[in-house]
Amino acid sequence: MDFSYELRDSYTEVKVGGRLNMVSAPRLREFVGDVLLKGSNRIVVNLAETSFMDSSGLGALIGCLKATRQAGGDLRIAAVHPQVKMVLQLTSMDRVLTSYATVEEAFGDE
Amino acid sequence: MSDALAARNFLGPAGEEAIESVHDMLDDLWSEVPLTQDIDRMTFTTAVIESASNVVQHAEPVGEEPVKLGVVITVRHTVLEARVSALHAKPPYGGMVPVMPEDDAESGRGLALIQALVTTVIFERQDGTNTWVLSRGYSQDRPLPDSRADSGVRPPP
Repeated sequence: MDFSYELRDSYTEVKVGGRLNMVSAPRLREFVGDVLLKGSNRIVVNLAETSFMDSSGLGALIGCLKATRQAGGDLRIAAVHPQVKMVLQLTSMDRVLTSYATVEEAFGDE
Repeated sequence: MSDALAARNFLGPAGEEAIESVHDMLDDLWSEVPLTQDIDRMTFTTAVIESASNVVQHAEPVGEEPVKLGVVITVRHTVLEARVSALHAKPPYGGMVPVMPEDDAESGRGLALIQALVTTVIFERQDGTNTWVLSRGYSQDRPLPDSRADSGVRPPP
């Protein structure tokens, strides 16, 4: 599992590569927590390189969303693969974690 | 049953490494069974990993011997089957009732997700082993192989 981040004009892009499962989920929480500590509270999680997500990975994304909102910001997700979209839909969490086609579109309305 | 087109087995300590090994095993299996559709591979893989993760996260040893994870995957003509076992484990707590939690919950969706992903879920306990038996019928538009000879699918080694 690979994590990286990049500062953009009005948000921070967090790239998540590999499988987002019970092994990597705690690391994502920690990574996004560090990004928040650095002062970024508008985060787009780029899932283009995330090949798989289970309920543990979903729980981590929800935790990151809550932490970001508690910091006065927001977290959005982009470029999800069909398997990730399936998990979001079957758990009805697509209502909470709206996915955007591209990273640029995630905060494009603001 | 003798209609197995392909099969894989895993047995090892119920730790984080086991989850990655089982996932790698499934990826390898799908490369051997090209006729399975993306939707079947995707749903079945997710259900198996959810079940295996449940064992790793929640199974407690019944004695001094640590819990082991056992996974048996069988691809048949009509269904995909998995037996995901916690060996040397106590019976699970609670009623194993799949309920989707509140939106802000960060855990507790696994059982409900498994149930949504496969056709049948059976839980068995025998001789200190808890086993999930999962099966998923193929998507309707899947071209079912008539036989091993003309299916392009290799039998298990």
